[in-house]
Amino acid sequence: MNKTRPIALTAGAAGAFALLFGATPALADSHTNATLSVLHAVPELPVDVYANGERLIDDFQPGTLTDPLSLPAGAYDLALFPADAADGSGEPLLSAMGVELPAGADATVAAHLTEAGEPALTPFVNDTSEVAAGEGRLTVRHVAAAPAVDVRAGGEVVIDGLTNPNEESLTVPAGTVSADVVLAGTDTVAIGPADLSLTEGATTIVYAWGSGDAGYELATQTVQAGASAPTGVPGGSAGLAADEGMPAPLVGLTLAGLAGAAFAGRKYATSRV
Amino acid sequence: MRSSVVVLVLGLALAIGTPVTWALTRPDATAGTTVEQAIDAPSPSAAPSPTGTVPPAAPAPGLPPVTTRDAAPTVASPVPAPVRLSLPAQGVTAPLDAVGVSPDGQMELPEDVDRVGWYRFGPVPGDEGSAVLAGHVDDREQGLGALAPLRTTEVGDVVVVTGATGAETRWQVVSRELITKQVLPLDSIFDREGPPRLVLITCGGPFIPELRSYRDNVVVVAEPLP
Repeated sequence: MNKTRPIALTAGAAGAFALLFGATPALADSHTNATLSVLHAVPELPVDVYANGERLIDDFQPGTLTDPLSLPAGAYDLALFPADAADGSGEPLLSAMGVELPAGADATVAAHLTEAGEPALTPFVNDTSEVAAGEGRLTVRHVAAAPAVDVRAGGEVVIDGLTNPNEESLTVPAGTVSADVVLAGTDTVAIGPADLSLTEGATTIVYAWGSGDAGYELATQTVQAGASAPTGVPGGSAGLAADEGMPAPLVGLTLAGLAGAAFAGRKYATSRV
Repeated sequence: MRSSVVVLVLGLALAIGTPVTWALTRPDATAGTTVEQAIDAPSPSAAPSPTGTVPPAAPAPGLPPVTTRDAAPTVASPVPAPVRLSLPAQGVTAPLDAVGVSPDGQMELPEDVDRVGWYRFGPVPGDEGSAVLAGHVDDREQGLGALAPLRTTEVGDVVVVTGATGAETRWQVVSRELITKQVLPLDSIFDREGPPRLVLITCGGPFIPELRSYRDNVVVVAEPLP
């Protein structure tokens, strides 16, 4: 289980924030693009998203996620305006300047509420590293206006004490699990239970989002990770289909030939003397 | 004296000819191209699709169009598993079971040697990538398995897989190889990208009694028939 602390960008007008995503080593240099997804997890606030002054997403609804965008690596100025704003001028609701997207990085920027209920933009680096055959990676991100939570899967606590805006990951056997989110250290269910599909060879990211007023919900995102092959293929235990050496009668025939030749050769040699 | 020369020549002919004839007439361990070539080669019909999901880099100006979706959790509907494998030339028909990974990390196989496992984390036969079907060649109690005749398949033999809906995919063998288990090209065999391939695997080669296991895997690769 590892714990990553992303840099939280608290709400603000036109603050200049430089964010550095850690490039995923396995993917760095592989191409010149970066992959970016945007999640909208601020309840009841449709927005337009602008990147470098250009409108990227129009009328972006709470609880929705963009499909992965392949963007040229570089720095991006992100700004959120109310969905009814005419253009990307004036004071944004939220902004993040100079968000650095290195080549090969896979990141999700979440617009969400802080624990105190203030809007924030938080970039997360998605783990695309390889998982073992038959397994998937589960990443849980706390982006709700709520205190620390525990995450339970199949009734057992798998992540404990997760706080906004942090994340935790673990690898699990692929399949469907019933998960819920409870207030840390309690049995008080905040969200769920919900059935989650944990895809093999992928990272399933679960966001706990919302607020006490608007309600708490889960959002999910699946990011392809490196799938692995099984370590081998078994296949038999009795030896009935084995490639044998030469069958015994043929071995016998060969030996008989040798014996005959030896006998005759000896007789021939003796007769010459 | 002459008779002993005749016996000498006959004996030598027998001693040399028997093993040579046996070696020449036994079935070949391989047929067709190598397994790795057969899996990686593009089909004449299907162009290989580019790997990865990254579209070509767009020039810097202009942002790509964005699609959004509801992020509420959804439960993926299970992929319809194939149900039957048949190799008419070998007289093999076997029901298929969807299988995953054993605790030891190897591909899981049906206990019943008359059944064959379909690796459910890989593609469905016919989809992009390499669909893997494997079964036990034998079992101490159950005897020979459904895939025991796999080692006699020849290039051009037809393989038929029946899907969940009853629709059939037809395949043609392009490669058979006996590969020592330690050097099995697992990443090629279980490749989830590239042109559609069907890979059939069982055990073969000499049996190692101490390990209660065979030394090799018999691997057959088939390409889709148009």
